[in-house]
Amino acid sequence: MLELYISAVVFGLGISGILFLVSIGISIGFGLMRIVNMEQMVYYTFGAYLTFALVSATGSFVLGLICGTAAAAVAGFIVETQLLRKVYGKELMFTMVVTFSVFLIGIGIVQYVFGLASKPVGMPFHTIVHMLGAKIPLYRLMVFVIGMLVYVFINLMLNKTIAGKAIRAGIENPDQVRGLGINLGRIFTVTFVIASGLAGFGGALNSPLVGVTPYMGFDMLLFAFITVILGGLGSIKGTLVSALILGQVISVGGTIYAPLAFVGPFMVMFIVILFKPTGLYGVRGRAFGFEE
Amino acid sequence: MTRKSGAATGSLKPSENGKHVMIEKSNERILEVKELSVSYKTLHVLFDVSLEIQTGEVVVVVGRNGAGKTTLFRTVAGFLKQDSGTILFKGEDIGHLPSYEVALKGLKYIQQDKHVFADLTVRENLELGSYATKDYDWDRVLEHFPKLKTLMDRKGGNLSGGERQMLLMAQSLLGKPELVLMDEPTEGLAPHVIEDLKGAFKKISEQSTLVIIEQNLPLTAEVAHRVYAMKEGKIVAEVADKKEIQDLAFEKYL
Amino acid sequence: MDKLSRYLRGPLTLVVLIVIARYFFPNKMTFLVEITTFSIYIIANDILYGYMGMVSFGQPFYLGVGAYASAIYLAHIGNNILVAIALALLMGLIAGLILGPAFIRLRGDYFALINAATCAMGLFLVEKILYPITRGDDGLWYRSRMHATPLLDLRKPDQFFWFAMIVLFVVMIWYTWLDRSAMGASFRAIKVNENKMKFLGYDTFKIRWTGYTLMCILAALAGSMYAINYGFVNPSITEPARAAEVLVATLLGGAGSVYGPFFGTFAFLGLKDLVSTFVSRWELAVGVLTIIVCFKFSGGVWGTIQTIGAKIRSRGKASAQSAT
Repeated sequence: MLELYISAVVFGLGISGILFLVSIGISIGFGLMRIVNMEQMVYYTFGAYLTFALVSATGSFVLGLICGTAAAAVAGFIVETQLLRKVYGKELMFTMVVTFSVFLIGIGIVQYVFGLASKPVGMPFHTIVHMLGAKIPLYRLMVFVIGMLVYVFINLMLNKTIAGKAIRAGIENPDQVRGLGINLGRIFTVTFVIASGLAGFGGALNSPLVGVTPYMGFDMLLFAFITVILGGLGSIKGTLVSALILGQVISVGGTIYAPLAFVGPFMVMFIVILFKPTGLYGVRGRAFGFEE
Repeated sequence: MTRKSGAATGSLKPSENGKHVMIEKSNERILEVKELSVSYKTLHVLFDVSLEIQTGEVVVVVGRNGAGKTTLFRTVAGFLKQDSGTILFKGEDIGHLPSYEVALKGLKYIQQDKHVFADLTVRENLELGSYATKDYDWDRVLEHFPKLKTLMDRKGGNLSGGERQMLLMAQSLLGKPELVLMDEPTEGLAPHVIEDLKGAFKKISEQSTLVIIEQNLPLTAEVAHRVYAMKEGKIVAEVADKKEIQDLAFEKYL
Repeated sequence: MDKLSRYLRGPLTLVVLIVIARYFFPNKMTFLVEITTFSIYIIANDILYGYMGMVSFGQPFYLGVGAYASAIYLAHIGNNILVAIALALLMGLIAGLILGPAFIRLRGDYFALINAATCAMGLFLVEKILYPITRGDDGLWYRSRMHATPLLDLRKPDQFFWFAMIVLFVVMIWYTWLDRSAMGASFRAIKVNENKMKFLGYDTFKIRWTGYTLMCILAALAGSMYAINYGFVNPSITEPARAAEVLVATLLGGAGSVYGPFFGTFAFLGLKDLVSTFVSRWELAVGVLTIIVCFKFSGGVWGTIQTIGAKIRSRGKASAQSAT
């Protein structure tokens, strides 16, 4: 019985790693650019499909991981510079519809190139670790560790580099950052490329676990939104904490009572939002779309 | 930074210790606003506003809430786009420039809300200003704000109103701006804090031209060389006579 | 009388046009009923978005409330279609009254997303938890249990068409009234500046709550019409993925206008119909078209019609003037 829960916890950690990677872009998009970028899941899907394509063609998972991340970052760069720049500062609804359209276009492209059928991606390795009697796939642990490393990396960037400080300042008050003479637009682009690259990286890492389908982004989108809302918009730490919580709710909750894997995250978010409308680490008054 | 040759002649010269640039009053126009009209969506806020600021002046803009003072400042600083009219800074049209480029040209705007980056320390707040302007001469900008030097590692969110205003002023001095717009710098501050800031005003006005929105009329009388009164989106009066300013003659236009 | 006719003229023209279309294109009747029902659903969303400026990502949930209220009644309890519709309206009202206070105090983005979450919960509810009642993915089938209604037999598609016309007529009159009433004005004022409304002494919470509840009732009405027209309901009606359709149709038509929702629905369903007959991948086409509409026709279909109309009128005036 104990082994069951130990492996559930580790599975949950793996899920947390993926949730964190794919949610950063949405969180930062909310906080910094003040848009709802629903098209983040396009990069997730692209990352996963490129990994699939390269693993099937060359058999190298690492190559797939690198190319998937790079392709996602390039896609993010194109979308940001060609389209999203025209959307900044517009109404919330407008940004949602435009980015959702990009999401649909992305799905259309994936369907056109790869077809509708869902496809499996081979695991890079099948190593099993024994822990307190439980058999744990090393790959899932690795996904979690990578997620944590990315968190540390992002934190260092935000706290130690000047661009990171500008991002933190921009989340608080973009106009004032511009008033200092900083070209926030360029910082937006850099941030966006990093975020979309990470979403693609998350998709690439997740592809051996879930396989690839054109609609994989839809399923992930809801969970990513829950992660971001629960954690508080614009807070990286909040995103991490809520990814950790949700991973366990999905995995351990699902082990206790199967439907909890789906409904548990919603319930947790519901309860938290009702008591703390800005999420775990959100700051009051930072929400936009209405005058506060 | 490009400046028109001749435009600056005589207006700027190094101070004795060579550290600051002292500014002298001259007849050269640093800012010219011509027939500026601005609206928010369908709401017309500014109607054909024209004004001129000369190098070295301290000009105060007075008017009731909703008169359009902040809109005027935000438009000049590049945060709002005008419907029509031109804004010339040192003879150059800046009406179409994004706000960060306006700041880099040497026109800084200190917003009304006294917002400093709460999540960043005082040091980091200053670093951001230095990063943009490539001006790391903190000794110069902190000279008038000794108190800030003791607060370098405090988070912006934990500063008092007066301390925040000091930080904003220090930040705005980075890059040696030639024109600083201040939107109600003393609003909500205690009288003794305002007393402290007066010295700073004076120092800043020695280094750059100052345009201030101020509701505090006695203070206005004390610092202003010239006063513009705004009402319902228009400039209704200009008072240049020192005597009249001291007698608060502009009060009748409000 | 004159005042009354101002409210009647527009809706009457619209309904007459649809009826004419029905006789010119007899094989498109189902499509016209679909547009009618869907546009009521879009009107509900437009009250929320176009008037009050609140974005919801979970509109299918409110549609589902009405659909399942009617369906469960018809499948398990009674046979009277009119009671089923009344029940749907009642459930919409209850949903609005209960969920409203919790939801509307949330700010823009959180409001949008908690609705998405509610929608996913609703889907889960009807798919899994209420399986004994809703039969999950198999759906509820009850056409044979529906009894004939007096005057119009709603079980028959051509008679349901007339019922849909009556409902649309009534809803459009009400919606026209709302647009010009103090209530509509207060909704708009909230969108522009809520704080100012508060300073003026309005209870903005109550205004939002009213608007939200109205939205719930209208969406439930649309859901109920779907349930009765099709004679069966399955969970796909509350799928969160379909929330986007609502937003796109609202924006396509031109938000916050009386005829925007109808024309948005017409354009959206028409495009989807058209696109899916030519290419199988509707996502790509709809995505590209929506972006074009967003950037080139920001007033939506109705806004563009109005602009063109105004241009023609002013040109007419100009030529009339130059003639004299």
